[in-house]
Amino acid sequence: MSEILKSRTLQMVVLVLSFLFVFVPYFIDVKVLTDFSTQLITIAAIISAFTLVLAVYSQFRRGYTFVHRRSRGWIFKAYMMTSIVLMLIFAVYSQTSGPYNWVMYAIITPLSSVNYSILVFYMASTGARAFRARNGRALLLLITGFIVLFYQAPFTGAFFPQLTPYSLYITSTLVSAAGRMFLISVTVGAIVFGMRVLMGKETSILGAAKEEK
Amino acid sequence: MANTKPAGKSGYRYLVEYDRRIIYLLIFILVLAPLLQPFILPIQVSPDTTTYYNVLNGLKKDDKVLVVFDTEFSGYMEIQSGIIASIRMMFQHEVKVAIAVAHVEATGIPQLVFDQLASVMQEHNYVYGVNYINLGYVFPNEAAVAASAQDFHTVVRQDAYGKSITGTFLDDVKDWSSWTLLSDYTTGIQSTALINHYGLKGTPMIANVIGVMISTSAPYVSSGIYKALLGSMRGGAELEYLTGYPGPGLTAMNSFTLGHYMLMIAIVLGNVGYFGYRSYQNKLKAQEVK
Amino acid sequence: MVNPLFQVPGIVSGRALGLIFDVVLMLLVVYYMGGGKNIKIRRVPGLDAIEEAVGRAAEMGKPVVASFGIAGSGFDYWTMAGLAILAHVAKLSAKTGTRLIVPTGGSDQSLIVRPVAEEIVRNAYLIEGRPEAFSDNDLPFLSGQQYAYTGGYIGILQRMRPASVIMTGSHASEAMNIAETSNMIGAITITAGSYVSNTASLACASDYILIGEEAPAAGAYLSQDPTQRASIRAQDIYKAISIIMIIGGLIILAAGSDVVIRLLVS
Repeated sequence: MSEILKSRTLQMVVLVLSFLFVFVPYFIDVKVLTDFSTQLITIAAIISAFTLVLAVYSQFRRGYTFVHRRSRGWIFKAYMMTSIVLMLIFAVYSQTSGPYNWVMYAIITPLSSVNYSILVFYMASTGARAFRARNGRALLLLITGFIVLFYQAPFTGAFFPQLTPYSLYITSTLVSAAGRMFLISVTVGAIVFGMRVLMGKETSILGAAKEEK
Repeated sequence: MANTKPAGKSGYRYLVEYDRRIIYLLIFILVLAPLLQPFILPIQVSPDTTTYYNVLNGLKKDDKVLVVFDTEFSGYMEIQSGIIASIRMMFQHEVKVAIAVAHVEATGIPQLVFDQLASVMQEHNYVYGVNYINLGYVFPNEAAVAASAQDFHTVVRQDAYGKSITGTFLDDVKDWSSWTLLSDYTTGIQSTALINHYGLKGTPMIANVIGVMISTSAPYVSSGIYKALLGSMRGGAELEYLTGYPGPGLTAMNSFTLGHYMLMIAIVLGNVGYFGYRSYQNKLKAQEVK
Repeated sequence: MVNPLFQVPGIVSGRALGLIFDVVLMLLVVYYMGGGKNIKIRRVPGLDAIEEAVGRAAEMGKPVVASFGIAGSGFDYWTMAGLAILAHVAKLSAKTGTRLIVPTGGSDQSLIVRPVAEEIVRNAYLIEGRPEAFSDNDLPFLSGQQYAYTGGYIGILQRMRPASVIMTGSHASEAMNIAETSNMIGAITITAGSYVSNTASLACASDYILIGEEAPAAGAYLSQDPTQRASIRAQDIYKAISIIMIIGGLIILAAGSDVVIRLLVS
């Protein structure tokens, strides 16, 4: 049975059917198809949630083996497993108050906020190190960046309103144009990638590296 | 003149090769100082924020607004000012607000918002279930967003506290077309899904995004999918200014300004050092050739 | 609201052109992949540098660190592109006997993607005849929280001091943290800008960067399979069509006609 479920053909059939059941109702408004598509999407969301439970169990089992063997760094695995169990208990007790809330807002959120804030240091040091006017194009980029930075600083934006039309033009026209081309190229690339997946050429997502010929 | 080199090491070299921790220290001081010792700097309101303000101002009593907190808590710290200012305006216009969350870290944000706006809610007699509701973490993935846009009650049957939503104002909500406005506070987690399944179908949308997403979100404003866009903490500060309720956004604008200036000065000094050191090296080579 | 230029009975209003574009693109891909054509593709420096990066690590006796992203939306195309590149890196690492470390995590959905990544790396070592070199511990699951994952990733870079860091797939703001740390320790850094806002800062911090559709095309580019590489031609054709429509649309709009806008809303 597991051989049948693991077979490449079955995986491809499921892939293609899933694609068609979501793709077709988007363009062809037939109520039966749309309802079926909604149900399929809901089923996928539920399966995804259960897969998450399975993945947590898998991590827990791996962690237990790690701790049992006292491998290097086992104390961190033990800490992780204890955290999982504790948060599970706290969440069952209450998600909107009590210890779950305390851990989220006294520990996790300040830590993640701090880590996010550290980005400013990295951005500043990268900017100071990397922005060099090595040639004409780099100089143009630097001048453009300066105009936008000047405008973005609220103080200068208020005292030099003459900068506003230039900065808005740069962000709404030049930057926006680059963003749109990026979106177009990525979207087209994603569709072509999807086609390669549907045709069975991209096997990496099915968990297999390519065989040597 | 033979054997004369430029004396000593070039000072420009230090501008090029300084320890990056100096930058870290300067940024730390310049961002922290205005928070410890606040001072007033003027601010100019951008056209985007004015448009956003006008959209919210156009809401009428009993309009149904779906507010989506599509952000981790770290992102919330950046767009907090915009969130508070926007939802304050919604409460002041007495619209019906349903709050949905798209990230597990954002589950506590609705309560934080209610706590900060408690006086406004009391002033306008906001009753849970009648005027507002907290749906909780109902958009964990695109599948849930898509399903809710097609048939809301298939996906959402109870609120964040486990109570059934039957009997609330959501009884009238069927699908994407039932909402007057969808307000997305996002760091990009489900923003594309919301656009695909709500915005493209016709639900009017506005968005409050973090700074790095402004350029990628701007095309959606031009194409009309987003009616307005509020960008980052600066947009939130401008909205606070327009609404007349100063908050964390306006407070942070001084640090914002000084941080920008610090970055510009660092770039200028880096370029001065780069060209100066290159010129120094060229002189050295020329003298070696002689 | 402008009226569409045409409507096709049975197709949802406003989606007919999208359907035509999609179907034509799919047919083009099938045509190029089935045609056996040997298409010339320009070099993608970022992808070519992967072999150099792994080779450098082998010479220096240091590990390679590669990641497929935080998989925030599960199996989205960025994650799948990251897995395709990971497969290539794993194959090269197995061939050269270089240790490959793959930090995983960053979101809840990454738990689902991790077993696939593990399978990919394990199979790569198996195919190269070095199954004993694969270790489960080299794919540590750091955390389901984005910044806890970042902290763990940076810690791995600081402690292991890899020769190369290949960071592709779906990365959000933590990409900057990781790229800058990689730069600080002197590793060759190859990244993929999955968001246009990330691209600019990653371009400054990385040695090589894959911009736009270069990452989704990686699987085809690296496979050396002519049929797969031929599919990239379909992407280029569509980009050319986009450019023609943009320029043509501007000219037609300037002339006072809204036919292109009406076509696009059809």
